[in-house]
Amino acid sequence: MGVYHQDMFRYAAWLSRDKAIAEDVVQEALLRAWKSLDALRDETSAKQWLLTIVRRENARYFERKRLETVDIDNLTASQAALLAVEDDKELDDMRQAIYELEDDYREPLVLQVLMGYSTNEIAEQMELKQGAVLTRLHRARAKLAEKMER
Amino acid sequence: MNCDQYREAIAADPSFDGGAGHLSECSACKAYRKEMLALNQRISRALALNVPELNMPELPEVIAGDSAESSTSMSDNVAALPKRTRAPLTWASPTWIAMAATVVLAAFIGFRMIGSGVEYATLGDELLAHIDHERASLVVTNIAVSDARLTSVVPAEVAHLDHSAGLITYAQSCVIRGHAVPHLVMQGEHGPVTILLMPEERVSAPQTITGENVNGVILPVGDGSIAIFGEREESLGRIERKVLDSVTWST
Repeated sequence: MGVYHQDMFRYAAWLSRDKAIAEDVVQEALLRAWKSLDALRDETSAKQWLLTIVRRENARYFERKRLETVDIDNLTASQAALLAVEDDKELDDMRQAIYELEDDYREPLVLQVLMGYSTNEIAEQMELKQGAVLTRLHRARAKLAEKMER
Repeated sequence: MNCDQYREAIAADPSFDGGAGHLSECSACKAYRKEMLALNQRISRALALNVPELNMPELPEVIAGDSAESSTSMSDNVAALPKRTRAPLTWASPTWIAMAATVVLAAFIGFRMIGSGVEYATLGDELLAHIDHERASLVVTNIAVSDARLTSVVPAEVAHLDHSAGLITYAQSCVIRGHAVPHLVMQGEHGPVTILLMPEERVSAPQTITGENVNGVILPVGDGSIAIFGEREESLGRIERKVLDSVTWST
């Protein structure tokens, strides 16, 4: 379960951009998954199933709390904790750049690079057309490359 | 395919392996591809946040919340527990329900690792859990992954891998101990053999790992290490030599 928990937390953390919220979202997602175990027919798709639950739970969380988009100029302590890196400026800069990406660009990038999803799978998860996913991924990398060059 | 189309494709998916004809004629796109692969490695590293343990209360905390008397009687025989300022938790608290959910999910999904599972006692334990997690990689096949895919997963900035090691049928960039790690699968004599290239995971001496159905070894290589896992019957010595001969760290 540990590996799934890692994936769930990292996905939630990059969706919410807040470590504390990510922990709450993962806990809620685990509860929801437990309650709807019947929906999981194929254990090989467990990771995708759990990440879908995390995505929905994250949306519910923000709906419930009516949180506004995080203002990157006003990082809270927990957000700063998410980005904190010791003695590695390059890593720190890249995390900051990813943090600053718009949600529409950040999420497919996380799914592709971190979760190993194909563009088809990302399209399914995000309910988009594959062409839209390709465009977002292309733009996300272009934005990151530009920020890292500054 | 022209330069714009190729660059859009490679920026959307660095494992894109089309456009070989264009690539062989266009040095600018070849350089762009190299840039994108390097960028992807940096992104992968940055996304791999440290994961906190699942926030589960300790058992004595729950007992203390349930019964002050039992806690007092226990104090005759055991060292006193530090006083906690948090409100006592009950067995029905959301945290405990989440914990129960984790256990049930783990059992249902078939994982042997139960509990928070985030902190592994050893590197070997984490590697075994990872291989178990990616069981879909352990397929007997003679279909090799494309060169582009292999280059994407093992970029030149990380390591050089020549093709003498053998038929590589799976390549995926994974995260082990917070680092992006090329996860490869070759075909051994008794089934798939997993190879994890860990340039940032130093070990002082070779370590033998025994899993439920697999055997493995973690070999020190320069400032990093390479882990090789195969079926119990697999003779890993021959594969170890081939892998060690074919991998060179870039840093």
